[in-house]
Amino acid sequence: MTDVTAAAVCADLLYREGLYLDRQDWDSWLALYAEDAVFWVPAWLDEHRPTSDPDREISLIYHPSRVGLEERIMRIRTRKSVTALPLPRTVHMVTNILPMAVTDGGIEVTSSWMVHEFDPRVSRAHMYVGRYEHTLRREPDGAWRIARKKVLLTNDMIPTALDFYSV
Amino acid sequence: MSDRPRSAAELVQDRPESGVFRVHRDVFRDPAVFQLEMERIFEGTWVFVGLESQVAKPNEFFTTFIGRQPVLVTRDSEGVIHAFLNSCRHRGAVVCPFRKGRTKFHVCRYHGWAYDSAGRNTLVTDEAEGQYPESFVQEDHGLLPVARFGNYRGLLFASLSPDVPSLEEHLGEARAMLDLVLDQSSTGWEFVPGPVNYTFDANWKLQLENGLDFYHFGSTHSSYVDVLAKRAKASPPGVTPPPEVDAEAQGSFSFENGHSMMWSIRNPPRGLRPLAFDTARLAEVRQRVGEAKAKWMLRQRNLTIFPNLQIIDIVSLQLRTWRPLGPDRTEMMSHCMAPIGEEAEARRLRIRQYEDFFNPTGLATSDDNVMYEYCQSGYAADTDGWTQGYARGLGGGNGGPSLAAEIGVRPAAEAVGSLAFGDETCFHASYREWRRLVARGEMQAAAE
Repeated sequence: MTDVTAAAVCADLLYREGLYLDRQDWDSWLALYAEDAVFWVPAWLDEHRPTSDPDREISLIYHPSRVGLEERIMRIRTRKSVTALPLPRTVHMVTNILPMAVTDGGIEVTSSWMVHEFDPRVSRAHMYVGRYEHTLRREPDGAWRIARKKVLLTNDMIPTALDFYSV
Repeated sequence: MSDRPRSAAELVQDRPESGVFRVHRDVFRDPAVFQLEMERIFEGTWVFVGLESQVAKPNEFFTTFIGRQPVLVTRDSEGVIHAFLNSCRHRGAVVCPFRKGRTKFHVCRYHGWAYDSAGRNTLVTDEAEGQYPESFVQEDHGLLPVARFGNYRGLLFASLSPDVPSLEEHLGEARAMLDLVLDQSSTGWEFVPGPVNYTFDANWKLQLENGLDFYHFGSTHSSYVDVLAKRAKASPPGVTPPPEVDAEAQGSFSFENGHSMMWSIRNPPRGLRPLAFDTARLAEVRQRVGEAKAKWMLRQRNLTIFPNLQIIDIVSLQLRTWRPLGPDRTEMMSHCMAPIGEEAEARRLRIRQYEDFFNPTGLATSDDNVMYEYCQSGYAADTDGWTQGYARGLGGGNGGPSLAAEIGVRPAAEAVGSLAFGDETCFHASYREWRRLVARGEMQAAAE
């Protein structure tokens, strides 16, 4: 695979992920993830260092498989969580997409992101920024899926509540 | 409103003989009340500042706040732990702007005055050329220590007011509840690396109450309960916790000086806590503390040490503390507590279950935080300033046998009921202490 092809694969998948989250199209979003996908938002040890070992240090979110994401979507759909009634409106912007390691079956890609969020519950806007590291994998059905997503969230003073759709 | 209470005594009404315990909404929303709380509670009594293991090695430090005031906690090169106001004696700048670290000297970056890890001034920059008067030379230039500093089994507390009882006396009988946590490890305690900080736009006492509030669980966290049910169905746990030997119940132990503990007994216990998972540790603990205490260690216990510490011992162990930023804004600091040297699988379980429940990015605390904000907004409704949230348990008799007695504890009050009890008398101790401290200041102010 050429670097140009890899860059196109990455951009398509990352843009699509942001779009599905912003549309609250949870099923399409989940379908971008492999069943064994790791979803990880580290916490911060101090001013400079994020946590680096989810088994020995605290993460803001760590799911070793897609089940954790499915549970979060289930929680929204129960309509019993006040964090999701109403849900914040989000716009994801993904940029600086840079494939770092490319093979025929997988791509390691880094990117930068910004999420503007408006919370209709309190009529307040938030902005979250950070970097993504995605591992993309070509699955047996030919589709590229997310095998791992690490979200470096620069904000480490969380306002009230934050979930997967805001990062 | 013309009948708005004017004094602390009136804001908290405590008449057990007539079945009345009420807290006025102004306690949560009035800026003047907030000002009094900062002066007389957060800057007037013992508050929790951190764990001794945060400064395990000589010259390690961390920074925090007591009420509104910046504080630097250090272990000096001799091994002694200190707490200072984090403000340079020269012009008042924050001396140490870092969250934590290790250094022999703290140098103010404004004019270069320096302090060692024992707080002693080691440099007044260009002092000889400074044409200082003799009186300045005679003055001490060291960092100002807090008025009182205490260490209960590795938990560090400080008071900016010297007019407080000893820490042991302040903690009183509630020490036994801290012991039920601390005795679960014979190797000491640490924070799992990765503190989680968050804010909510609501009064700090909503957190204080919620941490003791069994009643809200089924409604506020019903989406979480659904997730738990789905998990249990999809993958039944491989290890099951030891069964309860006593009947299911819910209740509280309340103590002097504002402390209290909410507990529940479930059979089977909800979830698998690391202590139950790590059977070797559990056997060691049982042998060391005895059956009765071990039994209580495996039960939900939500402990509040007034005014700013909660230790929640459920499927993980959370230590949380808070800094009020305003009547309607609070900053939270949350830590996962763990035995030093814990077995790797138990540690992993502890971490996953902590993140799941306690993170503002998790499945339960996030709902609490949003509810605090709905309460704060709701407090603006003013037709009746008194809420009805302190009455569950007020009509119960206290005649039953003491559950605390079997672990040798004598609370000031006990409440016991079914799992649908949702005791609210466990909030009363904190409001009594709140009223005592705020009213004490009022009397002093009146006398001056």
